[in-house]
Amino acid sequence: MAEGANPNPIRKAVLGLNGGPTDELVVNLGCQLAKPNAAELVAVHVIEVDWQHELSEEMTDENLAASAVLDLAEGIAERYKVKLSGDLLQAREVAAALVDEAIELGADVIIVGLPYRKRFGGDFALGTTIPYILQNAPCQVIVAREPVPAAGERRDSTDKLTAGSGLGLR
Amino acid sequence: MSSEKPWLHGRKPGDRRVRVERPHAEFFRYAGPGQFVAREAASEPRTAAGRAIERVRHAMFGRRLSIYEEMGERLSKKKALAIFSSDAISSSAYATEEILRVLVLAGAGALLLSLPIAIGIALLLGVVSISYRQEINAYPSGGGDYAVARANLPGIFALVVAGALLVDYVMTVAVSTSSAVEQVISALPGLIDIRVEIAIVAIVLIMLGNLRGLRESGNIFAIPTYIFAFGTLAIIVLGVFRIVALGEHAPPPEPLPGAPDTLQLVGFVLIIKAFASGSVALTGTEAIANGVPAFKPPEPRNAANTLLVMAILLGVLFVGITFVADSFGIVPVDAPAVKTVISQVAAKIYGDNTILFYLYQTFTALILFLAANTSFNAFPRLAAILARDGFMPRVFSFRGDRLAFTSGIVILSIAAIVLIVAFGGITTALIPLYAVGVFIAFTIGQVGLVRHWLSERSAGWRKKLTINAFGALLTGVVFLVVLAAKAPTSLLVAVIIPILILLMLFIHRQYQASADHLAMSDDAVIPPPRREERVIVPVPTINRAVVQAVNVARSIAPDIRAVLISDDPEEAARMRERWERQLPLVPLVIVESPYRALVGPMLAYLDVLDRTWPDDKEDPITFVVIPEYVARHWWERILYNQSADRLRSALLGRPHTVVVNVPYRREVEERAPEPPRG
Repeated sequence: MAEGANPNPIRKAVLGLNGGPTDELVVNLGCQLAKPNAAELVAVHVIEVDWQHELSEEMTDENLAASAVLDLAEGIAERYKVKLSGDLLQAREVAAALVDEAIELGADVIIVGLPYRKRFGGDFALGTTIPYILQNAPCQVIVAREPVPAAGERRDSTDKLTAGSGLGLR
Repeated sequence: MSSEKPWLHGRKPGDRRVRVERPHAEFFRYAGPGQFVAREAASEPRTAAGRAIERVRHAMFGRRLSIYEEMGERLSKKKALAIFSSDAISSSAYATEEILRVLVLAGAGALLLSLPIAIGIALLLGVVSISYRQEINAYPSGGGDYAVARANLPGIFALVVAGALLVDYVMTVAVSTSSAVEQVISALPGLIDIRVEIAIVAIVLIMLGNLRGLRESGNIFAIPTYIFAFGTLAIIVLGVFRIVALGEHAPPPEPLPGAPDTLQLVGFVLIIKAFASGSVALTGTEAIANGVPAFKPPEPRNAANTLLVMAILLGVLFVGITFVADSFGIVPVDAPAVKTVISQVAAKIYGDNTILFYLYQTFTALILFLAANTSFNAFPRLAAILARDGFMPRVFSFRGDRLAFTSGIVILSIAAIVLIVAFGGITTALIPLYAVGVFIAFTIGQVGLVRHWLSERSAGWRKKLTINAFGALLTGVVFLVVLAAKAPTSLLVAVIIPILILLMLFIHRQYQASADHLAMSDDAVIPPPRREERVIVPVPTINRAVVQAVNVARSIAPDIRAVLISDDPEEAARMRERWERQLPLVPLVIVESPYRALVGPMLAYLDVLDRTWPDDKEDPITFVVIPEYVARHWWERILYNQSADRLRSALLGRPHTVVVNVPYRREVEERAPEPPRG
């Protein structure tokens, strides 16, 4: 956690999802934290739009996949009987959009996932998103790390939550 | 995705973002490739009237539940005991009285037999309960005796069980409600003229409680059941204490000098009759075995344990009340005022006209009302299983907004109300029909289990087989006794059950026939359609609705013709002139109808078209495209489309014919531009 332990119960949490292997972990953790206080969860998926495209350009393929990620997160929350709404954004910077959205929503906590990188001997690569959130979020930040696989175990690349290709909306 | 994306500003100038609309998200949730889950919003009504009805339903029955919430509706053992056992437990309020009413005819000396008879019935209850525990473990998916008979015996036996149980469940509602109303009337005699109305209101209230769903009905019914049970246990403990420790009891009855020994005279027949009357205590024992899936996991274990507790509780209450009544020399009194045995026992222990006495009486009346609730859980479940097996209409297997089997609950209420009205709400008139069916079910179910153990031969099968065989023998004998003791009225059941069986067989045959007719081979590869198609558009005039229908018809097939049925040749000629000018590419056929009929000539025209079709070609599919004007308001709609409705009804079931409605909405009319002229 970025800040000291907060005795106040969580009322609203923003879950940062990206269609990666930590999404399920993040949603499960968010549901477990939200359940005792009947807190509200907002799953946020930010599609990063590069400078070659207009920010508001239709990103049909990306949107469908991201929408599926949010819906699947809602499915997990339904099992916990926790209220979760999905929020799909397009932005130039994922981290800034997440923080700004959390501020606008008045969230008490942002939960993001940190995947384990197996290449080069394996490590947790923070990248730029998590440090930005840790530094700029006005609320608590929880980083849920992906479990370190046992020696010799390979991560299956198909265990992602993304499944937009079969959305049926194309 | 929506194209309108308002920009949202972040803390820094470059940190702008846009929110992407997800059009499907309001109604559906993506659940996998090509698979959606409908949200509650997708089921909500779209018209103002529909929303108003929905609000009323919501207020009466609660919010709509999804199938994923079913586990939350499952019953804990405490609630299940109240829900499934209120019938059995409430019978301890009148079973002793039923025995005493028979024995009292044989003189005071015969009353001493009430306790041994009650113990005998309690032992029978023990055997039946042990058998049902075995049944629950052998058939954990529920269905009780019906499922056992269906799996192990020729098909007709399962239907006999089903018919017997359905009749008995209806009887339970009618008898327990009438009995409860009589308790109310004995306290407030002025209500005697509206006893039937009170019973109907009570049944409707119980029906509404059940339509709200299992868990909520458990909340409603648990409190009275437990208060009655604890109140009766307190009576027994205090009574036994006063009898054993304080030595309070009535002197044993002395036979009159010189009077014949009535007991010896009546002997076995009297005992058998009293036993048959007291065996009403066993009704409702089967309800738990029928409703195993309603329990929380592990369902079979929880159901079996609940059954054990129910049997012990019922046995203790029944024998205890009989012992206390017997010791204090209590017998039923009908004049000058009705005094039931249970009320006299309560008056003896709690004191006559005390608050405790009135409270206990209130809850006794309440539990008798609620005894009906056991049937409200068992009947719809059994009906749903029968519907699933094709012996009852499929609507009985559909669950309503609150996951309750709505149709079963409503039909049970209607049947019980009809019985109460027919018998004037008088319990004694209904009683002879009661408790016959349940012993048929007990017996056949246990015979089925005997065959089950014989074929399965699992660990300990010999012991289980012996228990069920003994149980089957015992309940079979009791069935004959009950049938004979309550004859001739009880024989009516022997008429009703076969009628029900015939009805179920008829329904099954219909479903089987339609299933055979619709069945397709699993390995058949369906070729593309090769039959020719033609389209007929009945037209009354030329207007926007007709033009829209004609355009739809053109998209179906090139072989298209409009047909005008007219009783005015001049008007028809004007129509032809206009038609050929405005819709020159669509041929118009005018059928003059001097007898002013519309539907008949249209059907005849279609028949003639069929007859003129070449014999060597397969019959074509005829699409009849009917233009329809849809007004904005429901009250406007009754002004339009009567002819279209009649034609649609007449075409229903016509071979090789597909009816297509093309609704033209008034909103469309307001927006639609005028077609180009010239």
